Amino acid sequence: MRYLVLLYGDETVSPAEGTPEWDADLARYMAFDELAGEAIVAGEALQGNASCRTIRHDGAAVRVTAGPFAETVEGLGGFYVLDAPTLDDMIELVCHIPAVNDGGIEVRPMVEWVDRGPRPPADGEARYFATIHGAETAAEEPGSPGWEAGAAEHGRFGKEAGEAMRAGGAVHPTTTASTVRVRDGEVLVSDGPYAESMEVVGGFYVLQGEPAAVADLAGRIPVPERGAVELRPIMELGG
Amino acid sequence: MADGPDEVERAFRAEAGRALATVARLVGDLDQAEDAVQEAYLIAVERWPRTGIPDRPGAWITTVARNRALDRLRRESRRGERERAAALEAVAATPPILHPVDDDRLQLLFTCCHPALAPEVRVPLALRFVCGLRVAEVARLMLEGEAAVSKRLQRAKAKIRTAAIPLRMPGPALLSERVPGVLECVYLLFTEGYASTTGDRLIREDLCDEAVRLARLLVGLRPDDPGAAALLALLLLQDSRRGARLDGEARIVLLADQDRRCWDRSAIDEGMRHLERAASAGTMTAAAAAYVLQAAIAAEHARAATWESTDWRAIVSHYDELAGVSPSPVVLVNRAVALSFADGPAAALPLLERLALDPRLGGSHLVPAALAELHQRLGQHDRAVHHCRRALERAATAPERELLRRRLAELAAAAAR
Repeated sequence: MRYLVLLYGDETVSPAEGTPEWDADLARYMAFDELAGEAIVAGEALQGNASCRTIRHDGAAVRVTAGPFAETVEGLGGFYVLDAPTLDDMIELVCHIPAVNDGGIEVRPMVEWVDRGPRPPADGEARYFATIHGAETAAEEPGSPGWEAGAAEHGRFGKEAGEAMRAGGAVHPTTTASTVRVRDGEVLVSDGPYAESMEVVGGFYVLQGEPAAVADLAGRIPVPERGAVELRPIMELGG
Repeated sequence: MADGPDEVERAFRAEAGRALATVARLVGDLDQAEDAVQEAYLIAVERWPRTGIPDRPGAWITTVARNRALDRLRRESRRGERERAAALEAVAATPPILHPVDDDRLQLLFTCCHPALAPEVRVPLALRFVCGLRVAEVARLMLEGEAAVSKRLQRAKAKIRTAAIPLRMPGPALLSERVPGVLECVYLLFTEGYASTTGDRLIREDLCDEAVRLARLLVGLRPDDPGAAALLALLLLQDSRRGARLDGEARIVLLADQDRRCWDRSAIDEGMRHLERAASAGTMTAAAAAYVLQAAIAAEHARAATWESTDWRAIVSHYDELAGVSPSPVVLVNRAVALSFADGPAAALPLLERLALDPRLGGSHLVPAALAELHQRLGQHDRAVHHCRRALERAATAPERELLRRRLAELAAAAAR
């Protein structure tokens, strides 16, 4: 069973790049990667809210705004696609992700995962994590006619995006989401997404290209009516 | 030997709950288990009146339901081919005659109390899948509409299936964190059966038995957990009074008037043993301490040979501690009532008058009913009547209203003298 694992937290309190605290954080993530081993299907650290852009749809109008989809101090700091047999195995695993201790980790069962593998970046290219947001409708229920129609649209988008689309995934509705936090050593699991204001609806993509081309492409990702795509640069940690 | 439809229905219902949990483990899916047990029911209704009820109906239901699920898996195309083959293999590998296993219900209780499920769906899920009640019965107990309960159960089952919440208890790393939620659910199952005075009496008594049984299994699973031992003690001590709580016409008999010879002595002895063990634990959580203190209060009543010899001072001090670990206005009302027996009604009156202003108790009949009693004991009949009428307006259940009407009649008779 594959799960999309979203790492949320308050970036204003997280350490700045280059500080010893940053290095310690990085070491903790590397320890997790080692511990999780083959359970990790994919995973990236993401840049802060200031580097985000949001592409909002209103009927035929498409508008690009600076900043994340939800105006909060909290934001998406990273993601994993993890493989585990059950939710309990997943909870045990995500308890070792450092973000679980101050922010929280949202676990979303996935319907589908497409991975085209890495492509060496050309000059001026960057990678982005694009998440879909908006009102959840009955079409978000896998197997429903609405879902099938949506899946076909995403199939067309994947073809159109070509080499710029590196990976993509579809997730089950937010009613199947769970959130894990650890406070004072105690594991706190709850029903539902980390924050309704930030919830990912339907799925996500990993896009690679020049910033303007990616923003243009992100505007063509199928979204719910009046929905939006949040485009967050991936933090290239090197190695 | 033929059995009538009522006997068939009763025999099936008595065993279906336990069978459901076992079938769920075998087929690995709650919906499929429900469907399979329902199919077994249709076969039983058709066959048992002719052939007689089988010697071991539980084994019959489990086996037939397993076979139905197997047939369905062979036919069905909903699941992916690989998943279907794996499920088929797992189910087919089980022995031909199956017995419902207690352990399966305990395992499934952990699923129903999973923290990734909304808190308000955990008790209805446990009522359905651990206690094996029908959806209509769950709705009746929860005082909700059947459609609403059914919808909530469907959503919870969809989450269990989609998010892959396992149909068993977690491994050692997560177990101790899950136990408090499971204890709470068992406590709520018990109070659902014990305190709720509506609905089918038989179902409610079954529910109390079931909660005690589950608490016992939890003590077996966690022998050193003071919370588990204290919960079992509390349930046993409360339940020991079952035979004396209602009179022949199902009317409430107050503790003061209960025939203490009808209290279940073996349940009391067992409860006392578990309470002693729990109370001697060095450290415990606030939740565990709350069970210990509630059990200690029940133990004081169980220990008293008569109402008059009740150690009210000890009870008040337990309530004081309980208010410290579980601050709830209901605890304070009960404490005030206990105090009225320790120090006299006049001492408790100002406490209750203050509680009457607590917005959390706004819609409840508890405070006016307690005030009515205090005023009656103080000989202030007019005030007693006033509070009794207010309590009557708020009381939710028929037996409570009947009790208050009896008190009003008493007050009227006293005034006429």
